[in-house]
Amino acid sequence: MDVTPLIIAFIAAIISVVSTWLAVQEKDLIIATLFSAVQSTCYALLYYLLMAPDIVLVYLPVSVGLLPLLTITLIKKTERFEE
Amino acid sequence: MSNVESFLLTSIVISLIINTAISLYGVFSKPSLIKKFIALTIFSDSINSFAIFIGFRRTSEAYPSIAVHHEIPRNVTEIHQFVSSAVDPLPQALVLTAIVIGLAVNMFLIGLIILFYKYYGTTNVRKVRI
Repeated sequence: MDVTPLIIAFIAAIISVVSTWLAVQEKDLIIATLFSAVQSTCYALLYYLLMAPDIVLVYLPVSVGLLPLLTITLIKKTERFEE
Repeated sequence: MSNVESFLLTSIVISLIINTAISLYGVFSKPSLIKKFIALTIFSDSINSFAIFIGFRRTSEAYPSIAVHHEIPRNVTEIHQFVSSAVDPLPQALVLTAIVIGLAVNMFLIGLIILFYKYYGTTNVRKVRI
């Protein structure tokens, strides 16, 4: 069998770990939201490679489009920097 | 399943565990409510990924294309072959509902954080004085 999709999924998993750590450690909350969107994109690719394309069609607009938009409006209404 | 495939799948599971741990650290140790909210969304996505991983099955067909029937199966052996080469659809249905309900809960939390800021003047939970 071909191992290439699993290698792509492995690379996406590593990128998701790094962007999760950066999103938790970042002081600027808008940049943290963008790192969270990068992590969500990696998870969407992982869902496609785990043979669940229907979940990709729901997860991608919700977690890459809608939630960062709402979080950025929340940051605009409250505070941009933590501490 | 060869050694390379098992190593890659195990690495993916370990990375999901690490993501869960990092997001729980962010929920418990960061003072800003918005940072707690971002970490909570990452935590729910990681748990949904675990649920997807339960129903995953690696078959010898063209991967990652989906196994579908092009015509009506005529006997029991064709149905048995299709079922033995398809992934489990039940965790996918559960995760679909979990994603949609999680969106509603996250919107509710955003409203609560806005009300918190209007009442206390800050989103840092360590600076709140009643």
